[in-house]
Amino acid sequence: MDQPAPFAAAPPTPPPLGEHLRSPELRAAMLVQQEALQGARDYLRGQGFTELLPPLVGPVTDPGGRGAKALDVDYYGHPYKLMTSAILYKQASLRGFPRLFYVAPNVRVEPEETATTGRHLVEFHQIDVEIADAGREEAQEIAAGLLSHVTEHVWTTIPEVLTGLGRMEADFADIRAGKYDVRTHDEAVSRLLSLGHPQNPDGEIDWTGERILSLESDRPFFVDDYPKGSRGFYDREDPERPGVLRNFDLIAPHGYGELVSGSEREADYATLVTRMRESGENPAKYAWYLKEAREGIPASAGFGMGLQRLVRFLTGFDALWQVSAYPKLPGVVTP
Amino acid sequence: MTMTIPAAPAMPAVPAAQPVDGFAAPLPPTEPAPLTAPAPSAPSAPSAPSSTSAPSPRSGPSGLSAPGFPEAQVRARARTGAAAVFPDPGTYGAHLHGPAAGHTGDALDRLRIVPPVFMPERLEKLIDLAREPEFGDVDLTARVGGFTARLPLYLSAFGSTRAGSGDLAVHASRQAARLGIPMVIGENMVPVHGYRKAGDATRSALRARVEAYLEAAPDGVGGIVVQQSTEDADSEVWNLLYSDPAFRPLLETGRLAFELKTGQGAKPGLGGMTVVGRAEAEQLARRFTVREVFGEDAPRLLRCATPGTFTEEILRQQLRFMRNNFPKARTWVKFHPGRDIERAARTAWAAGADAVTVDGAEGGTGWAPGVFLDQVGLPLAECLRRIGRPGGCLLASGGVWEGGRAVRALALGATAVGLGRAALVAVDEDPEHGLERLVEALALELRLLVSALGKYAPAALAPDDLWDPAQGAVPC
Repeated sequence: MDQPAPFAAAPPTPPPLGEHLRSPELRAAMLVQQEALQGARDYLRGQGFTELLPPLVGPVTDPGGRGAKALDVDYYGHPYKLMTSAILYKQASLRGFPRLFYVAPNVRVEPEETATTGRHLVEFHQIDVEIADAGREEAQEIAAGLLSHVTEHVWTTIPEVLTGLGRMEADFADIRAGKYDVRTHDEAVSRLLSLGHPQNPDGEIDWTGERILSLESDRPFFVDDYPKGSRGFYDREDPERPGVLRNFDLIAPHGYGELVSGSEREADYATLVTRMRESGENPAKYAWYLKEAREGIPASAGFGMGLQRLVRFLTGFDALWQVSAYPKLPGVVTP
Repeated sequence: MTMTIPAAPAMPAVPAAQPVDGFAAPLPPTEPAPLTAPAPSAPSAPSAPSSTSAPSPRSGPSGLSAPGFPEAQVRARARTGAAAVFPDPGTYGAHLHGPAAGHTGDALDRLRIVPPVFMPERLEKLIDLAREPEFGDVDLTARVGGFTARLPLYLSAFGSTRAGSGDLAVHASRQAARLGIPMVIGENMVPVHGYRKAGDATRSALRARVEAYLEAAPDGVGGIVVQQSTEDADSEVWNLLYSDPAFRPLLETGRLAFELKTGQGAKPGLGGMTVVGRAEAEQLARRFTVREVFGEDAPRLLRCATPGTFTEEILRQQLRFMRNNFPKARTWVKFHPGRDIERAARTAWAAGADAVTVDGAEGGTGWAPGVFLDQVGLPLAECLRRIGRPGGCLLASGGVWEGGRAVRALALGATAVGLGRAALVAVDEDPEHGLERLVEALALELRLLVSALGKYAPAALAPDDLWDPAQGAVPC
């Protein structure tokens, strides 16, 4: 199979802000986003989750993945970070809120190479979910239920907006019926290698590889068991299989790629410190979080679903900037 | 291929770089003001003799003396306490510290380079060229940690010490670029010197070196390697560079590498150390350990970096993390000369490292306690012996300044050798072309030696090109 062109032919950069804000495409996307958020809140509250509002700055944030960097801010003379992800706060919050979610803003200074993936923005939002005393399967069930419910809600409330964007209701039948596939990271790597796509077996599925797998699938699928060197210290290592994480991604079909990353979480203090060293982190940075861990953070599982990625998947646009009112593309300095 | 570099004498143009203790490298005029002025309210601090510079013995108040005993050192310690562990802080930024002169002439230097009588590779070259092969036919081009280098050399890391991050380092960067060899930028440059000041034209020490290199680098050769250790990780140095548009040309041409630093030859098991004035110490105390080892009233303090924590699994995972997070950058790792160097190197190669650097105990340009300089770590020759046949690209550093030592290291398995102190001394001697001239001499020696061994590429060198007098019995 020929590899697809790296990414779909979206206009590479947004038009001037005023023009973008007045465009009918953005208006349609915002209507879909509004219903997606409504559907997500309905579903999660119905499952017994409490919505909290996430912190924006902290002494530390999720360590950057795939070359992304946190933004530094001066906080009364202390070097603080804007949140790249509120994962650590999600875990800490479990002490009072065993089922919680955020609609969390995140800022990641992505490397410029991601400007053309159609799937990266410097500012984006994430529907962050965390469940105390849950395993991977329960987190996957909630993630699948969330995607199915949101899709159902949007198609039920504003079908004309979706059809107006050229979306076909039949393409969403499997999702609305809750049909998802599952494969392992090993299987995904083997598939890519058999297609002639070079893929590091120790790492994340690369952007092109993920797009290849997404394009050849008609229904969403989970990828389980990423290798340890590819994810943050908080993804729990499988005690039965050292080097393999109890985590997952949820990949959308038809080339839209990853929508969700999640995992069972590591909560053991000594293991967390060791895992921090394995990812080159200095535990002293995480003092507040490690204090909570020493006192006892509940075991949990959870995930984050990219809001703009979800809206892009529902609307069928080529690039995330088309579904963001104030898009900031990697490497492009804009308002 | 033949190098084109400025004319210079064929023999080494600078004195030996190894006996450096006491070698004064005057500060260039643009260096920060020396930190020698005592604090206004402080009495003059006593000078702190180095444990390696043999202060003159003197009898005690009672006239007691102890001939044959290292009395001077004992007395120096009795006078100045912790300060005597280190070289005289007045030499900080001006001296390049290494093992004392008596410690040079190590096991690597003692090996003889022994050409054979029968040279089948010379016949192959003769057939290839249809003429007599000459030493100029030796091709010194090497693949160094994923980069193409015109010579089996690289510029070693200098770190954030004053000697290693001022103008000398910028001159060395520019000349390394012209030579077409990779350059390693040491740890702690960003946490100590910053990276970029918004709205300010001031260039950071790291950016000054990168820009000097890029301005002079020929297409297709060389590359820049940036170290990170614990404190740099706090500053997210690799993330910073990887997402900086200024580094995009390097990424797109495959000429950026990140080096995980686990230690250094000058002080195995310790992190980086510099000497700082009190004002600077206050600024750095948040990021580093700062200690008053030179006395409570002394104007200077010791700033220490922590060396990181490594187990086999941590090393393996950190390298995988680097490859996962920075897929367009090469992955290097630098080890101190530890006793388990063989296992460490193999673990790194197995985890996908593009290069493993071993820094022998003779290595180092920075500030280190005398006991570490003289007594700690395996010599480079022993590191190379323990590693044996390398499982990937092996880089070696430690007291290299001329062709003979380089050839020995290459024959023992190294793909390339690093120049550290020798490079700084050379640019101190001539900021414009000193390093190029040093390397020209070294390259000529390499060609002469490699061809004398009947070979035409450094990669063809092998351990049987060397003879160890300690192993060979002299016939009666």
